[in-house]
Amino acid sequence: MMPRSAQMALIIPGILLFVFLFAMMPVVLHFGPGDGGLQFSWGQGFQSLKAYIAGLGSGESFTYYSGKNLHHFWERIGIYFLTSFYYVTAAGILGSAIGIFIGIYFAISKAGWAKSVADFIGALPDFVIVLLLQFMIVLIAKETGVVLFEVATLSADDPAVVLPLLAMIIIPANYMLRNVSMQMKLTLTEDYISNAKAKGMGKLYIIFYHALPNVLPYVKGDLHKLMGIVMGNLFIVEYLFNNKGVSILIFAHAFVGGEYQYDIVVNGLLSFLILYGLGYGLVRLFLFALGKVFQR
Amino acid sequence: MNKTLLAGLIVTGMMVVIALFGPLFAPYSLDDQIKIEYIVGEDGEGTVIAPPVAPGADYPLGTDKNGYDLLTKLLYGAKYTIFLAIGIAVARVIIGGLIGLMLGYYGKQGTDKKGNSFWGMLNGIPIFLIVWLIMIGISINPNASPFMMSLLLAIVLLVIGIPSVASTVKEKTAVIREKQFVQASESLGAGGWKIIRSHLLPHLKESFLILMVQEVILILTLFGQLAIFHIFVGGTTMYPDPTEYYSRTNEWGGLIGQNRMNFYVNQWIFYVPLAAYVVLILGFHLVAKGLEKRYGKMFSKFSHL
Repeated sequence: MMPRSAQMALIIPGILLFVFLFAMMPVVLHFGPGDGGLQFSWGQGFQSLKAYIAGLGSGESFTYYSGKNLHHFWERIGIYFLTSFYYVTAAGILGSAIGIFIGIYFAISKAGWAKSVADFIGALPDFVIVLLLQFMIVLIAKETGVVLFEVATLSADDPAVVLPLLAMIIIPANYMLRNVSMQMKLTLTEDYISNAKAKGMGKLYIIFYHALPNVLPYVKGDLHKLMGIVMGNLFIVEYLFNNKGVSILIFAHAFVGGEYQYDIVVNGLLSFLILYGLGYGLVRLFLFALGKVFQR
Repeated sequence: MNKTLLAGLIVTGMMVVIALFGPLFAPYSLDDQIKIEYIVGEDGEGTVIAPPVAPGADYPLGTDKNGYDLLTKLLYGAKYTIFLAIGIAVARVIIGGLIGLMLGYYGKQGTDKKGNSFWGMLNGIPIFLIVWLIMIGISINPNASPFMMSLLLAIVLLVIGIPSVASTVKEKTAVIREKQFVQASESLGAGGWKIIRSHLLPHLKESFLILMVQEVILILTLFGQLAIFHIFVGGTTMYPDPTEYYSRTNEWGGLIGQNRMNFYVNQWIFYVPLAAYVVLILGFHLVAKGLEKRYGKMFSKFSHL
């Protein structure tokens, strides 16, 4: 077994390589001029990578164009990153908290229609949920004249907050609750549960102090998947609500005036991975705390 | 057969019929376009007909803002959405399944720890973003035909989806591999291929079926997500000034993507394709649920509480 530090030493270059390679795809893959067929220009791709690495020292790799203006990555990233970070943290922690408790409730109760609703929402792709939420607000506004929440961010002073947050939380919470409810049901079939019951312990006590500690490891094991869902969701939500986060930073500046900006895409993707790592760590911390609370 | 499975099969069956014969039922052709007209009625009152036309007798689902019939578009586009999704899913499960079986049977146990954290970190970059990066350079106003572009996207989605299928199958295979009947067969001298074919595969065929339906849903989701970012199945036609994106194939995800800003006015243009797409996904979801229910009963235990 390799020590942890050696593992990290392998993983980080691997991830960097992955980001560098995929970020160059828009340059590499294209159609030839005129009626030309599909072409792979790896040379051009590696040219962008070389320019990126060469520009690291001079800071040139941390500039980008927005329209005709030159911006510095480090000056701008803070606000974009904070916006995304706020959504990722809320989605990760609130999503798992809501998911775990409703999941427990679903495992021990009938709640037939509620389960069907959760199942129905779980079947819908994330962008459909966002579009339906927006559509619902517009319909309500048309019928009653009351605009409940902002449907999209049109100006910086008036950002859409509630609806994106709702969309960010619903999806991971739903995933978590179905997982927890399934694992909880499996755990409740174990013999130590009937043993605890035979000892005369209360139902709630058994659930929270016997069953839940055995469900949490599964939740932890599935955390990468959950965070993957959160990050994919972040992209869709920021894009559809036009909220100024890291994904908008990438999408709005990937092509400026028909030119592909390799540097900003790489920097954006790396910020994304840092965001992922931070979010993952925070949710792990939350689960750790939850485990401590229900420790016997 | 349980009710969920039956309902799912009916919905998906209908969708497949639409995909196969849709253009035959189409009330208009794809090129029929309603232009701005001024009609004077018998009472001398003039009315202006201008696209988009709301759903009504002439246009059951209305027209889009350029005056093309939405129902016709949906019927023509269905085959791309449905057959492509099913095709990619089948290919993913066959190729990924074979790789997973091999890895699960021949691979060593418990050595995949360090790979996990690498792939775990990469979860931070969503799949559709990777597909977006690959396709964005070639998908806008492409030289190739819509069919070739669909095929290209299919290959990308196939390759990207194989690892997850393979790892799912590998896990399941590794569990069955430890069962006694497999060990008995091994000690009787059966070779690896024989065990995979006559012990592992029959035990996994239900899982493969469910996996395939779930993959169809994942691929349909990806079609939609990509369409939100203007990557349409079969290529995107972009018009400058004002910049507008149109699907070349009328694939359903594409119709959602190109019309998604219509939730303020002329709302049918927004919700008609969305409804068709949601019904399709729900159909497959019901099939997956139904299959799980059908096979799940065989092994289930009961709660003590």
